[in-house]
Amino acid sequence: MFNYTFRWNQAFNALPRLLEGALVTLEIALLSMLIGIVIAILLTGCRLSGNRVLSAIARTWVEVARNTPALFQIYMAHFGLGAFGIHLSPYTSLLAGIAFNNAGYLAENFRGALKAIPDTQTRAGRSLGMPPIQAFRLIVMPQMLRIAFLPATNQMVWAILMTSLGVTVGMNTDLAGITQELNARSFRTFEFFAMAAVIYYLIAKAVTLAARALAWRMFRY
Amino acid sequence: MKTAVTAGLFAATCLTLPAHADALDDIISSGTLRCAVVLDFPPMGSRDESNTPIGFDVDYCNDLAAALGVEAEIVETPFPERIPALMSGRVDVGVASTSDTLERAKTVGMTIPYFAFQMAVTANDASGIKSFEDMKGKTVGATAGTYEAIALEAQVQEWGEGTFRPYQTQADVFLALSQGQLDATVSTSTVAQANVKTGNFPGISVVGQAPFDTDYVALFAMREEYGLLNFLNLFINQQVRTGRYAELYEKWVGGDLPDLTVGGTYR
Repeated sequence: MFNYTFRWNQAFNALPRLLEGALVTLEIALLSMLIGIVIAILLTGCRLSGNRVLSAIARTWVEVARNTPALFQIYMAHFGLGAFGIHLSPYTSLLAGIAFNNAGYLAENFRGALKAIPDTQTRAGRSLGMPPIQAFRLIVMPQMLRIAFLPATNQMVWAILMTSLGVTVGMNTDLAGITQELNARSFRTFEFFAMAAVIYYLIAKAVTLAARALAWRMFRY
Repeated sequence: MKTAVTAGLFAATCLTLPAHADALDDIISSGTLRCAVVLDFPPMGSRDESNTPIGFDVDYCNDLAAALGVEAEIVETPFPERIPALMSGRVDVGVASTSDTLERAKTVGMTIPYFAFQMAVTANDASGIKSFEDMKGKTVGATAGTYEAIALEAQVQEWGEGTFRPYQTQADVFLALSQGQLDATVSTSTVAQANVKTGNFPGISVVGQAPFDTDYVALFAMREEYGLLNFLNLFINQQVRTGRYAELYEKWVGGDLPDLTVGGTYR
């Protein structure tokens, strides 16, 4: 039995606030992706470097990021570091947690993409007289990013959805945080959550379509 | 023939009656009263060492079930999930320290108050906060979805400086306070004292009262279930009348018994 009268007008009045929250959500997801990509490239580099210590660090990062829940990672960024006197604001904790997660997954993405590029490419570059770093930067990395681009948009969508975990560390300005607050105030749970779900869907869809359009423009042969 | 018709009519009457059953009938005939209780909100609701639900709200639900002549079932419900739990039919009644705001009464049916909270300020000792006014400009927080969270957030907006952070559970609020992520929190004085007393959260103390209105809390049920709401109102009245309210208050909280009536008006 579902005994509930929907009152959409009350929910629509709150739409501007929800959209403000959606902007914060998008901002965190984008920033976390940028940070994640930079770290992931560094991690991939560490793994390829042949240096034992660096590659162990990279492997541990990837293992932890991929095999523990994002909720745990975000919670640890806030309360875990907090126990050592390092106080991150909810915004920073959320960003750090998601960036950590993104970096782990993207590093695996990049590694897979690297495997798809034949060794002969590097060797061709080397035989043209390029130093190893230059061969990686000019020949391998552009191809790697191209192969990893669409899988990475997957991670972007995942990052958007992960921002909703910010409520566990006191985040109240993103879409999930504002939805929770509106819900607590009025108890109109189903309207606000339904609207938030639609907004999340639209953001995620827009990101996927934009990425596809971008890929179509950038990667034409 | 006549007997058969009478018997048939009689049977039909018996069979059609349950179709008009309301929530009160449903609870009595099912033999179980399912109460939404918040179990990270000591001393109102928590778990003992053997993981059994205990607290004022738990006892209150048990009393209510006894009055109805049914078994009590405690359904653990975090603050933000009280309404979904009721609306989706997982619980019959909320015994969950729910503030009876008008905004919420548009959605659920609220009884007369069954408990009343005073609000207290608890601060991290390092923050230098000694009173409610000292919280101005600091980082403060409270449990998301509670009366004090709504009031405190409004206060921070009115001050125009400082930050408000809602955490999902009372435990997280006190953890953040103890770590120094929050400078102070406003909670019900019962919760504040219970948490400071546990010793789980070092470096915090209750520093004073918060000048918010008394937080009257009500039981809640489906808005249209007048039969059940009437029963609940009378039950609350009887709890006070028979001294059971005072007894439970002494058992779980102690000190001056809060008055559940508002002078100068009817409910």
